[in-house]
Amino acid sequence: MKKKKQFAVIGLGIFGYNVAVELVKKNMQVLAVDNDNEVVNEISQFVTHALVADATNEKAMEDAGVSDCDSVIISIGENIETSILAMLIVKDLGIRNIVVKSLSQWHSKVATKLGASTVVYPELEMAKRFVDSVVTPNILEQIKISKDYNLVEILAPKKIWGKTIRNSDIRNNYGINIIAIRKQVPIIDNSGQIDVKEEINMVPGPDDEINRNDVLVVIGSEKPLAKLKGIVNE
Amino acid sequence: MNNDFNIKSAVVDEKEHIELGKFYFLNNKYDEAIYEFKKVLEINSRNAEAYYNIGLIKEASNLVEEAKEMYLKALHIDPNYKIVRDKFNKLVGIEI
Repeated sequence: MKKKKQFAVIGLGIFGYNVAVELVKKNMQVLAVDNDNEVVNEISQFVTHALVADATNEKAMEDAGVSDCDSVIISIGENIETSILAMLIVKDLGIRNIVVKSLSQWHSKVATKLGASTVVYPELEMAKRFVDSVVTPNILEQIKISKDYNLVEILAPKKIWGKTIRNSDIRNNYGINIIAIRKQVPIIDNSGQIDVKEEINMVPGPDDEINRNDVLVVIGSEKPLAKLKGIVNE
Repeated sequence: MNNDFNIKSAVVDEKEHIELGKFYFLNNKYDEAIYEFKKVLEINSRNAEAYYNIGLIKEASNLVEEAKEMYLKALHIDPNYKIVRDKFNKLVGIEI
């Protein structure tokens, strides 16, 4: 049987706590560490192991079993120094995949230079997403998949309602590809209450029609996507 | 078109407007469905189901803010309306 992946989450503030709980929900083994007795007690009912320890004490981290983990998430919210020190200790313990929750852009830079595999700065990422959702409400989701290419979930522009993918000429006009179409289909349950169910056409063909309220999942480079976004609100 | 007109003029009570609205909704005629649910509210402004139904159409049309407003109105009338509570929580981002 495949061995479950083991994670250590060091620092159980709001972010770390939720990361630990979500990892357990995904069936991962989680070691949760914090220097606060109360929060460790609270999380112990959810995670595989929970213990009180000082993340800046190398011996304590080793004894806690951090070196047996595949990945370590450092989410220490007190100060940058503690977070960096904990990261270096974890690195010395031989952990290759180290994720650091950043407290600032400087923290991100330092952590990256010192060898963090991934740096997350949730406040900044959330702020960007929030602004996107306010400025362009018809762009539902945007994921950068490479330096030049993005995956975008976009409301079908009015211009192409009722047209097939072929007739919409979306590939020629905008240089993007529709890789899925998401739609809400009306249903009625046994009690007579109406509801909607989501249907996804994962491999839309050239003769599939695009309708009002459809959500298009498209892939393309920045420029053509910006052109498409321009017509979404028309 | 004439048939539509005849049906509409024959419908007088709250329940009939609800049923007709559902019929339109299930046939993807969202504007007509909303018209019927609004008629319900003209007859009875405390019909939580009509607010829910309008909210659902708004949500299906990706008009999230308007959907939330309608769900809130339904919940204000009937705080125990479970499906509305679930949908509202989901839109606001509260995990149940």
